[in-house]
Amino acid sequence: MSAHAKTISLTVNGTRVEASVPPRQHLGDFLRERELLTGTHLGCEHGVCGACTILIDGEPARSCITFAVACDGRSVTTVEGLDDDPVAAELREAFSTEHGLQCGFCTPGMLVAARDVVLRRPDADNPAIRTAMSGNLCRCTGYVGIVNAIRRVIDARNTNAG
Amino acid sequence: MKAVDFDYAQPATLDAALELLSREDVMVRPVAGSQSLGPMLNLRLAQPELLVDITRIAELRTIRREGDRLVIGACVTHARLEDGDYPDVTRGVLPSVAAVIAYRAVRNRGTIGGSLAHADPAADWVNVLTALGADVVIAGTGGRRSVPMTDFILGVFETALQPGEIVAEIHVPALSDRARWGYYKVCRKTGEFSHATGAVLIDPARGVQRCVAGATSGKPVVIDGPALFAGGCTEAAMAAHLAGSPAADDPIALRTHTVALKRAIAQVMS
Amino acid sequence: MGEVSTAGSGAGSGVGARVRRKEDDRLLRGRGRFVGDIALVGMKELAFVRSPVAHATITGIEIPEEHRGAVFTWADLAAGGVKPIRAVSGLPGFKVSEQPALADGKVRFVGEPVAVCVAATRAEAEDIAASVFVDYAELPVNSDMLEAVTPGAPKVHDHWPDNVFLETNVGGNIAEIAATAPVKVSRTIRTARQCMVPLEGKGVVAHWDRHVEQLVLTTSTQMPHIVRAGLSECLDLDQGLIRVVAPDVGGGFGWKGLLQPEEIVAAWIAMRLDRPVRWTEDRREHLVAAANAREHHYEITAYADARGRLLGIEADAWVDAGAYSVYPFSACLEAAQVGSILPGPYDFAHYRCRTFSVCTNKPPIVPYRGVARTGVCFAMEQMIDAVADAVGREPWQVRLENLVPPEKMPFDNVTRKHFDSGDYPESVRRAVAAIELEGWRARQKAGEPDGRLIGVGFATYCEQSAHGTAVYHGWGIPMVPGHEQAQARITPDGGLELRVGVQSHGQSMETTFAQVAHEVLGIPLEKIKLVHGDTGLTPYSTGTWGSRSMVMAGGAVATACRTLAERLRKIGAHLMQAGPDGAVLEGGSVKAGAAAVTIREIAHTWYRAPQLLPADVDRGGLEVTAGYKPGSDHGTFSYATHAVAVAVDPEIGQVEILDYVVVEDAGTMVNPMVVDGQIYGGVAQGVGTALYERMPYDAEGQPLASTFADYLIPGFTEVPHVRIIHMLTPSPYTEFGVKGIGEGGAIAPPAAICNAINDALKPLGVIVTNAPMTPEVILSAIAGKRGAA
Ligand SMILES: Cc1cc2nc3c(=O)[nH]c(=O)nc-3n(C[C@H](O)[C@H](O)[C@H](O)COP(=O)(O)OP(=O)(O)OC[C@H]3O[C@@H](n4cnc5c(N)ncnc54)[C@H](O)[C@@H]3O)c2cc1C
Ligand code: FES
Ligand code: FES
Repeated sequence: MSAHAKTISLTVNGTRVEASVPPRQHLGDFLRERELLTGTHLGCEHGVCGACTILIDGEPARSCITFAVACDGRSVTTVEGLDDDPVAAELREAFSTEHGLQCGFCTPGMLVAARDVVLRRPDADNPAIRTAMSGNLCRCTGYVGIVNAIRRVIDARNTNAG
Repeated sequence: MKAVDFDYAQPATLDAALELLSREDVMVRPVAGSQSLGPMLNLRLAQPELLVDITRIAELRTIRREGDRLVIGACVTHARLEDGDYPDVTRGVLPSVAAVIAYRAVRNRGTIGGSLAHADPAADWVNVLTALGADVVIAGTGGRRSVPMTDFILGVFETALQPGEIVAEIHVPALSDRARWGYYKVCRKTGEFSHATGAVLIDPARGVQRCVAGATSGKPVVIDGPALFAGGCTEAAMAAHLAGSPAADDPIALRTHTVALKRAIAQVMS
Repeated sequence: MGEVSTAGSGAGSGVGARVRRKEDDRLLRGRGRFVGDIALVGMKELAFVRSPVAHATITGIEIPEEHRGAVFTWADLAAGGVKPIRAVSGLPGFKVSEQPALADGKVRFVGEPVAVCVAATRAEAEDIAASVFVDYAELPVNSDMLEAVTPGAPKVHDHWPDNVFLETNVGGNIAEIAATAPVKVSRTIRTARQCMVPLEGKGVVAHWDRHVEQLVLTTSTQMPHIVRAGLSECLDLDQGLIRVVAPDVGGGFGWKGLLQPEEIVAAWIAMRLDRPVRWTEDRREHLVAAANAREHHYEITAYADARGRLLGIEADAWVDAGAYSVYPFSACLEAAQVGSILPGPYDFAHYRCRTFSVCTNKPPIVPYRGVARTGVCFAMEQMIDAVADAVGREPWQVRLENLVPPEKMPFDNVTRKHFDSGDYPESVRRAVAAIELEGWRARQKAGEPDGRLIGVGFATYCEQSAHGTAVYHGWGIPMVPGHEQAQARITPDGGLELRVGVQSHGQSMETTFAQVAHEVLGIPLEKIKLVHGDTGLTPYSTGTWGSRSMVMAGGAVATACRTLAERLRKIGAHLMQAGPDGAVLEGGSVKAGAAAVTIREIAHTWYRAPQLLPADVDRGGLEVTAGYKPGSDHGTFSYATHAVAVAVDPEIGQVEILDYVVVEDAGTMVNPMVVDGQIYGGVAQGVGTALYERMPYDAEGQPLASTFADYLIPGFTEVPHVRIIHMLTPSPYTEFGVKGIGEGGAIAPPAAICNAINDALKPLGVIVTNAPMTPEVILSAIAGKRGAA
């Protein structure tokens, strides 16, 4: 344990957590190693691949280049915390239908990013979906299934709204 | 790939932060969004002993209009600039540029001040704020000073910041309604750092005719005046402007920089 | 031929149905279990001290006093009886390398593990690693394979006479053709060294199970049984004392198809400390220490007649195999494969190919999705276009001129590859139609308003998959696939458990093998459970590689289920008091006339009411292990034509893919959705090979990329929305007529894209021949012309 450990309190998937953390521990490791929320994956630990994307106060963020100690007082949501989220539920359904995942390693980060696109860009066409999702890498699917899945959710929402 | 052990403080006021940053007994470094510093820490390319997180300092997170300038706090995120919930005096330049920095998850935390302090020659704000003629307000225990962008960025990862100082504000002058803006980045991939950046501003009301060549492996190259507009943006001309930078000696880099600027110019001429 | 499917209506959930995947739910909820997710009580973390230099003698290792006991070197492992990795090949002339799991006095590539550090957390283990001081006396470096084979080059392995693992010579009868052929075109062609970059790095958790008295190695591998065999050899431990488990694995693509030094080290440390230990490969370790795929160099000449009919191919090929021979595939498989498959899907008579597996100061080469085929296709398909250019015909016409026609199937080619079935020319014709070549040609002629240049390119390949015994026996490497086995057992409640030794890491086997079993037994998919990737629970298998799993393990599942079906039928008939001849198994029940008894009832009888069984019941019960091999030992040949339209920006050298069509024939598709997914994913990787991915090395053997900021893999906006057209020619040799499909998508894109770029650059009179075709490569080609002019 670090001599510099700091006590933080934050909300993780709706539950208040108080923890002593070494400042060098990034949020991804904190969630995985301490909270045992291993759905958040680490694909690069330098901010590029997006596998570690989670929500901080409802906004997508990279958990690998955000330090846990900086999240004192924040609310963090991981893929495990999206079980009852309606948009995430629609996306899970669509990812499965459109074969938007193979090995599943990029998937938690993809869902978090895709959820943000659905909510923030209801007007997105396929190229816009691709641009908006470009911060998440997948080595298996070739992206087609993921784009189709997001398209499906956006279309269904627009139809239901209209 | 884990950072070295470091201490961390999260002061609530600017004075407290500057106090910590002026410590000489430890290697201390400010941190804002940690979107550039985070990777460097994880890769152990940066090995500070104390990080001072300045993002909880309220005054650094404000955006306000002061006369004909927009004053942006250093810790304002790219995402907020993208979303445009402020009196944008740049007629859409700030949001449009913010939107093409990295990816939304990075933009949600990365800050304009961090971007300038990091001073990557390929960074968007480094080049855009130079073209817009912004000033950087630097704060230190000795007080504040204002530095024009052209004097703030000194080179690759090099700025006018002295030890213990931070970027506090960025002052962006308002553009007139006749102002025209062009911006072109040569990137291999979406959200990837630029290999050649062209930024161009023409604002007749303020007598501005400015071209900036960025991502040149040096500080932004500023070319003021009408010369490059109307067909003057040639490889030969650019070779002269980029003289001294590695880009000038590499024919392919020179070509790419010329094209980036030419395409930015084309946007304002059309 | 055309759209004929023998088995599976496509409806329901059997063979041919597009059913959703059984594995999705847990992965979509973040409830998968990857190696990095496993935490055992008292577990320690490992970090490696890795060589910062490419070639050096280690003259000293200093471990700070306070970390003694937490740092181990080869001296410790060797004293503990650990042996180096030896991956030999039986091919004549092969030179053997010995790779100690930690460097033994000498390092041969940047990133080679030198010492291992143990601590409570990875961060602390890295702190210790940073405190270990290693003294390196640097040696001259072989950073380029062509220089490494020149006389006087420094030697990677001191006791070898040169730096060549193996030289092979195939064919030879070329001199006469070379002298007389009306058309002769030559090219120098190169592909870059790549990293495979599964999004999950490699990882391993090792512990000694005190109850079972077994070393348990949970590792992100594609081949648990082979890792067990290799570990057993290196640790000198009986295989019965080792269990290797692959949990959820986040992509493999070949990188997880080898015995890794780190696995040996983790296993040994776990036993030595009697503590669970974990090592997780981070991205920098992967990029630096695992840059190990694809680097080929060709000097190639094509001979043809005036119509473009190929008369012969002559080539010298070098593959940079890196510093050591990997277990089990060896250092020579890739280059040796070049010699045997360079002729591609074409029918021609004269051929000579010489290959060299060159030893350099780089990480050892491992077969990457498509193995040598991606490089071979890149070379051969450029030659087809070069011939077309020379004779003034459309490249697709020259392909039609030379492809093996359907009436010649099955066909033995010039290297005696046995193509099983299909209509290769038809794939070209459909690709030409689907990409709408005429439209692009018109647009090309008209010119683009933005000054970009339009180009269209094609590439055709055929791919041997599910290799048989003879080929691998011929290579004489540590692994020879024989009969693939599967176990099928009916559970007491009438469900089905399948156990296979292959491993699924994205291939969707939990679903597709269930579909195969459902096709035979009629048990609903939700009642079928696949157990895979665990030496403790599954039959031996060489694992998941070479597009073999559906053909081999799928065939074994079908075979085992058929035997089960017969046993079920007999018991069922007895329960209905019907003669065995009149009873049929249908839709999950045994039926005789109007009577029916469900599999569930039969299972209940076998397990819980055995008093009701016939006296002569098969004593094997409702559990079957069956072995399977296809009808031909040559495996299956799937094939495809890729067509791509690009726009090349001649000012900045960037390439945009405007349309991409794949016309492919994978025989019968067990699940078309999964087949499409494999193709999309393969094409994306091929786009990476074509345009982005390259691990550059400087003259000192330093890798010049170490993050995703400098090693670029394609993302959402770089990969096209690929269109796929299926041709369905069942293989005559396999269950249901399936063919291997896992790798194919990654084979053709570099070739097709290169041909498209060259088509676009034609007005400028330049060509590019090296991958990746980065802006620098394209601009240099253009600048070369400008400079020359
Ligand atoms: C995957 C990825 C892609 C990216 N792509 C782009 C891109 O296309 N274009 C682009 O412009 N940027 C890009 N970035 C960088 C991003 O914009 C960062 O947010 C930004 O460079 C740094 O801001 P930050 O707030 O995160 O700073 P930090 O990472 O917290 O700090 C960066 C540096 O600045 C110092 N610092 C921070 N704030 C201050 C201050 N107020 N005063 C003095 N010093 C300070 C720190 O000590 C550190 O040295 C990318 C980043 C990532 C991870
Ligand atoms: S692990 Fe965080 S972006 Fe890759
Ligand atoms: S599904 Fe494997 S990385 Fe995306």
